[in-house]
Amino acid sequence: MSTQSNTGYLIIFRGTDWYQGLSPEQMQQVADNWMAWFKRLKDEGKCAGGNPLEREGKVVSGKNKVVSDGPFAESKESIGGYFLLTVGTMDEAVAIAQQCPGLPYGIRVEVRPIAPQCPIVDELESKEHLAHA
Amino acid sequence: MLVSISSEWCKELSLEELQEVVKQNKAWYERLAAQGKIKGGQALLREGAVVTSKGSRFISDGPFPESKEAIGGTLWLDVATLAEAVAIAQTLPGLRYNTTIEVRPVAEECPTYAWARELAQQQQPAAAAA
Repeated sequence: MSTQSNTGYLIIFRGTDWYQGLSPEQMQQVADNWMAWFKRLKDEGKCAGGNPLEREGKVVSGKNKVVSDGPFAESKESIGGYFLLTVGTMDEAVAIAQQCPGLPYGIRVEVRPIAPQCPIVDELESKEHLAHA
Repeated sequence: MLVSISSEWCKELSLEELQEVVKQNKAWYERLAAQGKIKGGQALLREGAVVTSKGSRFISDGPFPESKEAIGGTLWLDVATLAEAVAIAQTLPGLRYNTTIEVRPVAEECPTYAWARELAQQQQPAAAAA
């Protein structure tokens, strides 16, 4: 797949229980590698930013705006953090995702192209186009 | 950080409903931006890839991982408390269409460091007792 994106890619790290079974030293080593990887990508101009997320949070859902304790997904799918990549192709973004130091410990990386505009606006424009056709 | 998680609900709306939603979303976003509460954010296309230690899998038309719904976008808020972020999430116009918003604090440092310290502390008394 060679999708092009001028707006970059969000890579989302999923899994917040990967450290189970590791010693404190091993955990620290993986985190150090992760930080070094982030810094290198930034130095190379391939990453505009990123953040780790706290494990806990809230979930707001539906018409009734119900608030419950989060995260939304179970821990193996839960979002742990993200990087904002400024590379131009899906292949490059995937190649970077493949370098994630957490992969051997069960981390999954979701690679998503950033939309130039909200996809709801895209849907509206396509429906308007159909209406005028 | 607000993360919206939804199905492709907008495909089922009529032209008029869509126009209304787009108008409301725009007003919602612009109001927050004018209040200086938005630090960043991205709307995402529904395609993408999932990379694991076993390889990469491309997905062209969502939905993503094991749930029927996918992350639609993120919004990084500049607010001081989780309660304020939750209150903002509750005003999102898209909630009416069964969108779910995950509200997660951005961590100061990678939580792994905190877990490593915690684990080291737990192990220390055991080592001292041995």
